[in-house]
Amino acid sequence: MTPSEGARAGTGRELEMLDSLLALGGLVLLRDSVEWEGRSLLKALVKKSALCGEQVHILGCEVSEEEFREGFDSDINNRLVYHDFFRDPLNWSKTEEAFPGGPLGALRAMCKRTDPAPVTIALDSLSWLLLRLPCTTLCQALHAVSHQDSCPGDSSPVGKVSVLGLLHEELHGPGPVGVLSSLAQTEVTLGGTMGHASAHILCRRPRQRPTDQTQWFSILPDFSLDLQQGPSVESQPYSDPHIPLVDPTTHLTFNLHLSKKEREARDSLTLPFQFSSEKQQALLRPRPDQATSHIFYEPDAYDDLDQEDPDDDLDI
Amino acid sequence: MAAVATCDSVAGSTGSAVATASKRNVTSFQKRGPRASGTNDSGPRLVSIAGTRPSVRNGQLLVSTGLPALDQLLGGGLAVGTVLLIEEDKYNIYSPLLFKYFLAEGIVNGHTLLVASAKEDPANILQELPAPLLDDKCKKEFDEDVYNHKTPESNIKMKIAWRYQLLPKMEQIGPVSSSRFGHYYDASKRMPQELIEASNWHGFFLPEKISSTLKVEPCSLTPGYTKLLQFIQNIIYEEGFDGSNPQKKQRNILRIGIQNLGSPLWGDDICCAENGGNSHSLTKFLYVLRGLLRTSLSACIITMPTHLIQNKAIIARVTNLSDIVVGLESFIGSERETNPLYKDYHGLIHIRQIPRLNNLICDESDVKDLAFKLKRKLFTIERLHLPPDLSDTVSRSSKMDLAESAKRLGPGCGMMAGGKKHLDF
Repeated sequence: MTPSEGARAGTGRELEMLDSLLALGGLVLLRDSVEWEGRSLLKALVKKSALCGEQVHILGCEVSEEEFREGFDSDINNRLVYHDFFRDPLNWSKTEEAFPGGPLGALRAMCKRTDPAPVTIALDSLSWLLLRLPCTTLCQALHAVSHQDSCPGDSSPVGKVSVLGLLHEELHGPGPVGVLSSLAQTEVTLGGTMGHASAHILCRRPRQRPTDQTQWFSILPDFSLDLQQGPSVESQPYSDPHIPLVDPTTHLTFNLHLSKKEREARDSLTLPFQFSSEKQQALLRPRPDQATSHIFYEPDAYDDLDQEDPDDDLDI
Repeated sequence: MAAVATCDSVAGSTGSAVATASKRNVTSFQKRGPRASGTNDSGPRLVSIAGTRPSVRNGQLLVSTGLPALDQLLGGGLAVGTVLLIEEDKYNIYSPLLFKYFLAEGIVNGHTLLVASAKEDPANILQELPAPLLDDKCKKEFDEDVYNHKTPESNIKMKIAWRYQLLPKMEQIGPVSSSRFGHYYDASKRMPQELIEASNWHGFFLPEKISSTLKVEPCSLTPGYTKLLQFIQNIIYEEGFDGSNPQKKQRNILRIGIQNLGSPLWGDDICCAENGGNSHSLTKFLYVLRGLLRTSLSACIITMPTHLIQNKAIIARVTNLSDIVVGLESFIGSERETNPLYKDYHGLIHIRQIPRLNNLICDESDVKDLAFKLKRKLFTIERLHLPPDLSDTVSRSSKMDLAESAKRLGPGCGMMAGGKKHLDF
């Protein structure tokens, strides 16, 4: 059994998380911190893409190539295309194997490819790039790389591109992190409690509501994923148990609820100002035997019949 | 008559002299006939352009924003020559919808469009415009929506005293009788291809127009903004929206749409750093844009991710430089999503600024608490209703939740929030 078939024959749940992260394409942002590191998850994703037969490019800036390749089998290592920017980031030794233009040049060169095969680009790490390049340039380059395949009606269909970026969120202010998370299609925030790591995954599909889920996992030494149930969380009771809940309607002297008969009687009542059709008919067509409305007026002692004549001495 | 004779003699005795005199409309005693020779007669007659109407307040020429409910809240529509700024919601789901309604309204009315974006190709944006609802199908769509909206617990109909039945309802704004101004769109369908192709549109997609190795001088506009301003100026000048080239055909309105202005994809770093290098770039852009708009027959919509801007002073400056500012706040991901007060709605809409154009006061509506909801086909804006305050003896926790959220609302919605239990009497 080849390793790729073995990987696919694993339990469905194990592969689901990595599949969902890689399926959407675009920029996948892995936000880690000092306590919960993300490089192992990045390597697990790299291994998964390599096993699925995609082309994998690694831009290694933060750790050396030997350290990154540690833990991978030889056939996976053969499939990875590694661009090393750790040993000589400023290209002082001027060898031909160094990419012209540094990591940014490498990213931009990947924008111009015309290969229909799907490709995965792993950036180790995005924080390194963000600290050395202007944020706007990096965002424009990332957007250009991750959106090559979203042009409908293109003559040469380019395969799906996934860009995996590892971001150490403690190194940056809220500005760059906010900007990158708004550009990302999938955002994975690593956290956890009591030794169990969790990943909070936020998927932004275009023009749809974002979906989020939290997944507890652990990474095995061969960089495959093991999904777990989260640790049991004691739910905090919302209501304070010291104060007993009292129903205020128990000892009232009046009736607050209506019985069914009373409700029916209330519904059939016609309100005085409710304009129903019967009332409209009655107003429009006065019945002949019913005389016009009467006014019964009994003058008071103080009532003045003629207001223009206060002394009542005009002889009309 | 004598003046004409001297003109003739001065200009020479060739046949062209007669031609020039007759073309020039020399004396003011001549009555301007209905057939002006060659030039556009822009005299005392009113300019009537499709899709515009004068405001009832001060005669300002208005265009529709594509959402009749929003038009009503803005005092009739968007004035020609002004900027409508939309502050995007956090996950950018609803602001593209308003952007597309504006463009779709332009296509339906036959206006010229200019779409600028750094994120998506303008041709793709135009493919996703909503389809217009025609008049005869309009009423049926509305009734269908209303019936789907009724929930089982609303059997308790309120009996309204007859005097108030005639008052206009704020909630459902049905199709207006005159369909010249403000159309309804079906958000679930796409605009037919032939309408898009028949329209005149110009697109500006930043990655195509600019090479990435341009050096930026300090204290100047970002190159992306400079290119966009030049593009807009060229279109306005070439197509005669500012009256410079006399237009042979009917005058038209230019609708400009700029998406995600201020995001780093435009090359602007106000979202990345608090005190960036070119923090005045965006405000300069808006200033120059407003100058371009005021001298031409155009209206502009801009969506901006203000929740990402780090320096709050820039947001205040941007608000002052725009004419109408509408903010969208969606409930996704916030704690309000589970609040029972907001369960019927998808977000709040804040009208932050309305301009005073040639006027001392502005036409603001007295409804300040508005919420929006994206139904399957329609985007509706409704007044936010609070349940009435019934009694004080309800359990404290639920009342505290609603009171917290009610604190953010204006006094028009009632001072206290209601409780859970129904009291019949």
